[in-house]
Amino acid sequence: MASKRLFDKIDSIQLLSVTKKYDDRFAINDISIDIEGGELVIFIGPSGSGKTTTLRMINRLIEPDSGTILINDQNVMELEPVALRRNIGYVIQNIGLFPHMNIAENIGLVAKLEGWDEKKIKDRVEYLLDFVSLPSEMFMDRYPHQLSGGQQQRVGLARALMMDPPLLLMDEPFGALDPILRKQLQEEFYQIREKLGKTIIFVTHDIEEAFKLGDRIAIMDDAKLVQIGTAEELIFHPANEMVASIVDTSKKFKHLDTLKIKDLISPLECMYVHDGSLDVEGAISSMIEKNIEIAVVSNGSGPLGIVKLIDLLRMDDKESKIVDHVIEIPSFSRNELLSSSLKIMQKDGHSMAFVMTDGKLSGFLFPNDAFSQVIG
Amino acid sequence: MVTLESILSHTADHLVLVVITLIISICISMPLAFGSLYNKRFGYVVIKFANLAQAVPSFAVVAIVVPLMGIGFYPAVVAILLRALLPIIKNTYIGLSTVDPSMLDYADGIGLNEWQILRYVRLPNAYPAIFAGIKFAFILINSIAILTAYIGSGGLGELIFQGLVAFNNEKILAGAIPAILIAIAFDIIFTRIEKKLTPHYRK
Repeated sequence: MASKRLFDKIDSIQLLSVTKKYDDRFAINDISIDIEGGELVIFIGPSGSGKTTTLRMINRLIEPDSGTILINDQNVMELEPVALRRNIGYVIQNIGLFPHMNIAENIGLVAKLEGWDEKKIKDRVEYLLDFVSLPSEMFMDRYPHQLSGGQQQRVGLARALMMDPPLLLMDEPFGALDPILRKQLQEEFYQIREKLGKTIIFVTHDIEEAFKLGDRIAIMDDAKLVQIGTAEELIFHPANEMVASIVDTSKKFKHLDTLKIKDLISPLECMYVHDGSLDVEGAISSMIEKNIEIAVVSNGSGPLGIVKLIDLLRMDDKESKIVDHVIEIPSFSRNELLSSSLKIMQKDGHSMAFVMTDGKLSGFLFPNDAFSQVIG
Repeated sequence: MVTLESILSHTADHLVLVVITLIISICISMPLAFGSLYNKRFGYVVIKFANLAQAVPSFAVVAIVVPLMGIGFYPAVVAILLRALLPIIKNTYIGLSTVDPSMLDYADGIGLNEWQILRYVRLPNAYPAIFAGIKFAFILINSIAILTAYIGSGGLGELIFQGLVAFNNEKILAGAIPAILIAIAFDIIFTRIEKKLTPHYRK
């Protein structure tokens, strides 16, 4: 009972005067948008502004009262909902992994329903797990509750990619993660996005995430589309006060060269610190339990560097000490100038640095994050 | 003096009664619970009726069927059924309907149809509750099957009532101990089946 492949590639998605009402209240009020194939469009706005409703109309989880939604000039209302949804990848904030299925079954469910043979499913699942940086041999047979939040969200993405849909709908996919993990997943997603080559519609409430990932950003307020454009257009030509406050235009006047590291520090939580004498096995279980993707390795007197969970998982020698696998990263005092530290980091290609206060580790500096705060 | 033969034959009668009643009650409860899931009004009537039947004291249920159906094996089955339906219906219904909404939303969003959602999401989610309901129903069936000896169902209750009338402790125990053993054995067997069917996905 394989569903028809409705589209191999997205040429365009059009919303034409789409309106949806619940009782007397508009959920979506006369929205028209043109989305090009291959674009990553981000919907952002206060809660209740209609961004999720708009997303869910594209795969017909919600049906419009009036107006038309076209994918490649086909009206979605004329497509069979089950077939339509199987042609569109779907990622949600709560992930929605099925607790009674292991990771391979979760990812392969729709393929199984589509009648793929087992070998083909297994190969594809293995490929996708590796693609989202989860070693397949370690994760295929695990159950969702054995995974950290970040790992579950990676599985959520792998699952959405199973049928190789040309279109992905992502509803606050990183919204439930803690800030440091969120940044790392955004970074990874940003990197694999090119490889994916898919049209993506993405909902978030985090303007920094929008600036970082979006080709264009659609700002919603009170069921209406207020403005859609690139980050630059929104920052330099905000349509109204509301847009200006969301993109926080005043920030663009902040002068980078007066900012100090302490203005943009991401504070340290002690759960990140692990002693260098810990073995790899112990570090993995500790990090999975604490739901963190990176750990600071310390030797008692100060931080030596970091280790990443992904790297540890791939190590053959699980008995070795993590101190032997440390990735050194720069460290700066909190009163140093941001601009000079960023230059140093850029030169050596580091994506994070330690921030020290009185010789002690007090936080992290993420250049990407710092940069988007400054321009945002 | 109670002969071993008499204990065995009463135990066999008792087992036949409880097992048949359990099977019938599962066969009746499941469709009612599934139906309740897809039709709110139907569900309302079913749960109300099951609650009502549950509110009547056990002995009264046994007594009520006599003017309607007379005495014997089948009236006893009906009397026990009335008490055993509720835990299975209610637990099955609750198990099927209390699924994490984000999972249902997701199942919808990836294009599962109603039947596939039931098969792959709701039913596995409901297994633990369904099993708990069936176990509890069996405890009720086993104990009410003792009472129905009063209306001629036969079984271990017969020994107990005879013993009570004759102040014969030996007879009372000859009826009570196998009944207790049956309850324990069922619990062990069913827990095994449950473990087989619901693998280690819960912490």
